[in-house]
Amino acid sequence: MAGLGPNPVPAQTENVMHEMPFTQALIELAVEKAQGHRIHKIHIQMGWMSSIVPASVQVFFDVLSKHTLAEQAGLAFEITPIKLGCHACSRRIELPFEPGVDPRRALAKVLERGCFCGEGKLILLDGMRFELSEIELAQ
Amino acid sequence: MKLSIEKAVTWKNDAVAGELRQQFAQNSIFCLNVIAAPGAGKTTLIEKTIEGLSNEFDIMVIEGDPHTRLDSDRVTALGANAKQINTLGGCHLDANMIKDALCGRNLDRLDLLIIENIGNLLCPAAWDLGEDTRLLVASLPEGSDKSIKYPETFILSQVMVINKIDLEPFLPVKTETIRRNALLVNPNLSIFEVSCLKGTGLDAWLDWVRTQCLRRRKT
Repeated sequence: MAGLGPNPVPAQTENVMHEMPFTQALIELAVEKAQGHRIHKIHIQMGWMSSIVPASVQVFFDVLSKHTLAEQAGLAFEITPIKLGCHACSRRIELPFEPGVDPRRALAKVLERGCFCGEGKLILLDGMRFELSEIELAQ
Repeated sequence: MKLSIEKAVTWKNDAVAGELRQQFAQNSIFCLNVIAAPGAGKTTLIEKTIEGLSNEFDIMVIEGDPHTRLDSDRVTALGANAKQINTLGGCHLDANMIKDALCGRNLDRLDLLIIENIGNLLCPAAWDLGEDTRLLVASLPEGSDKSIKYPETFILSQVMVINKIDLEPFLPVKTETIRRNALLVNPNLSIFEVSCLKGTGLDAWLDWVRTQCLRRRKT
């Protein structure tokens, strides 16, 4: 088949899992902010709906942080709530993280029920973030 | 010592996507980022869009696939400008890949840029490509529960095309259920129901794309 020929535009990076580019970006940002200091701990905020697996981030971190100022730094994950807003009554609804509960299930339940006002449809406002919130520098 | 940062780790991608968005606006280009599961009919919808609009607009397609240039060959066969990106297994496109793909291209005359993302409902969601509109293609054989299982892409898309509606008589799934479940997750979705194979519903879809392109051309 013609289309099976050589690859015309190889992409610059080989991101096999989406945690890998996230982790690479996390390390780059942390190292830039550390301004030459060794990093002791990295605090990450991730939305309950972020579809990022902390264990997978840790695996990539161990490899990608080698020979950087972030090598050996601890990773602390804080899972932030899913936040929804109502169109009609502008009420805010929060779904805090519950261990062992599938966030998609929890979200679907609330969306099916709709807002308490009975009028409005709910819109997702927050819950998919993956943020570097804080770094702790080594003494 | 503690340093507060509070920054999305995708900030570098977001910055490049912002540059691209500005570049598209300056050149009056309408950019679509097409996301779907493998086999939903992204490439066929793009082919139909080219067939329907290539007389009116200058169209370019960036094809993202893990491997092969099968898709860009299909699009090139219709006379459209195409660039293939192979991610070598990578699960999504990012803004730098789009920037590289556009490098050296003259964007002056381009009206419509269609980016076909990697067939995947999960990973492409977090990566802004500078698009004006994120288009989700769903299809009947996938079933009606995808918006609940993979809400990310449904939430972050503005438009959804439900493809393969001609298969409804043969499948235990209703177009209406797919529509309802998608609106549950994102009430603001604009939805088109089409059969790319039979041509059903394509006029409404083409009208919408045409309007988007013309709106930019005017301003």
